[in-house]
Amino acid sequence: MFEALGTRIMVGVISLSMLLFSSFKGNDPQLGTINHYSSSSTLYLSGELLSAFDNDFDTVFASSATIPVYFTLKIKSGNRNVVNRQFKHLVKFNPATGIYELRKDGKPDVFRSSSMQQIVKEISQYSFSVPYQSSWGLISVSVQAEMPIVRFEELNKEVDLMVLWKYKKPSAKIQIDLRKAQ
Amino acid sequence: MPKFGMRTRIILLFIIVSIGGLVLLNKVFQSKHNEIHNSLGNMELSSQLREIRLHSKEDSLKAESLMKKFDSSKALVDITLGESRIATSVVLLLIIISSTTIFITVICRLSKPLKELKHATEQIRQGDFSVHLPETGIPEMRELKNSFNVMSRELETTQTRLLVAEKEMIWKDLSRILAHEIKNPLTPIQLVIQRLEERLESDCDKIKELLPESISIISQEVDNLQLLAQDFSNYAKVNQPNTEELNPALSIREIVKSYVQNFQINLELSDELRIKFDKTHFYQVITNILQNAIDASGADSAIDIRLYKERSYAVLSIQDQGSGIESKDLPRIFEPYYSKKSKGTGLGLALVKRLCDANDTIIRVKSKPDEGSEFTLIMDDLTT
Repeated sequence: MFEALGTRIMVGVISLSMLLFSSFKGNDPQLGTINHYSSSSTLYLSGELLSAFDNDFDTVFASSATIPVYFTLKIKSGNRNVVNRQFKHLVKFNPATGIYELRKDGKPDVFRSSSMQQIVKEISQYSFSVPYQSSWGLISVSVQAEMPIVRFEELNKEVDLMVLWKYKKPSAKIQIDLRKAQ
Repeated sequence: MPKFGMRTRIILLFIIVSIGGLVLLNKVFQSKHNEIHNSLGNMELSSQLREIRLHSKEDSLKAESLMKKFDSSKALVDITLGESRIATSVVLLLIIISSTTIFITVICRLSKPLKELKHATEQIRQGDFSVHLPETGIPEMRELKNSFNVMSRELETTQTRLLVAEKEMIWKDLSRILAHEIKNPLTPIQLVIQRLEERLESDCDKIKELLPESISIISQEVDNLQLLAQDFSNYAKVNQPNTEELNPALSIREIVKSYVQNFQINLELSDELRIKFDKTHFYQVITNILQNAIDASGADSAIDIRLYKERSYAVLSIQDQGSGIESKDLPRIFEPYYSKKSKGTGLGLALVKRLCDANDTIIRVKSKPDEGSEFTLIMDDLTT
């Protein structure tokens, strides 16, 4: 709780100071509405990360380091955490060929493209499937996106990619009544 | 436009100058960051290197490694620039908030004791010497408060001593005057009684011849004693005035009526004027001043009484051509028991002053030795 409060204060201070004193654009990421549908035992969730890679990411993606984007899925039934999973999207650029490679958790195929726009579009979209129990009843589903500290092997340096999101972790929430969904 | 105190002005000036300076500095810093960022965007190596046909696998690997290093460096610089911009603005905001808070706190801590001192000085000005300031704050302020407390304690002690001394002096003066004034009529009474005793022993038959004169003397002196008691009593019991609208000209004519047969009194009175005065007090004031004028004047010397309007005031002047008052005595003539006359208690003019004060009337006196005195009463004219 205190950590969340601390993060909120930090983000508030950063936003205010940047509004007043900085010309740095960065990105203001947001998570769009979570779409869902369910089969008899599996819940399918999908959505999109908006305005997350508009500025400064061209150089970051082209750095040839593996750039991950994490999507954390939490499902609560009442006060009980029933699902807590992290899905990773990984982008890697090959400077020799000029091709970007995108791997998404849970998908065996690798998406390749030389277009940065295509890659941004693909990496922004997520879709998860999780098994569920009908006894969960009314559930609260939350998805949060973040980026970790990345190591540039060529330079032996670590950088916090959250700088480019101004330390904001976009999140989205939805409530689903699994009894009705069935 | 609102008026700002010195403290507010200093705070505002500090905030404007510090924020202005820091914002300007930040502006320069941010524009330099932008320049670096734009230059970085224009640097393109990989696409050009890819177009070069490399002959060996070794060359290709070298070129790939070079491209990776360059692109990583570019990304790193870009992210570091972003980080530095965020850090600069956050630090700037924190500096402004913390320095302003510190400055306001310091100013408040400095000005609070000054306010306390101002308040305490005000209390002392109003005569309350019991004020004591807590000796807190910075050392200089503690010293100042300590000096102030010492001063107020000394003032309190001095005031107490002065009050005691003044009371003692008043009692001494009063006792002296009373003893003197009582002794004056007692001496003739004692002499008369002695004469009567002597006659009773030597020539008892002729005592009847002496009785009328003796009784007259005793009666006269008893009257004097009663008058003395009355004067003291009058002075002690000046009570709240029961003011009413008076026609001063009419009252003065009534008072003067009993004097005009024996003394030359010239009247020049405006009948339109009306004043607010306690009737009994007015009678006492005029009688006392008039009696003083008569005592100071010769038998054939005239006394002028004039009543006239001046702006919104009714002005009453009682002027004699008598012996006048020495200039050194003028400031003390309204003090109790101060008298230069051979007769009297020295309470007459003191009573006049008290009655005038009680009826919101200003009294002034002008006098020159051997030329006479003029007493002037200035009252609000109700007809204005």
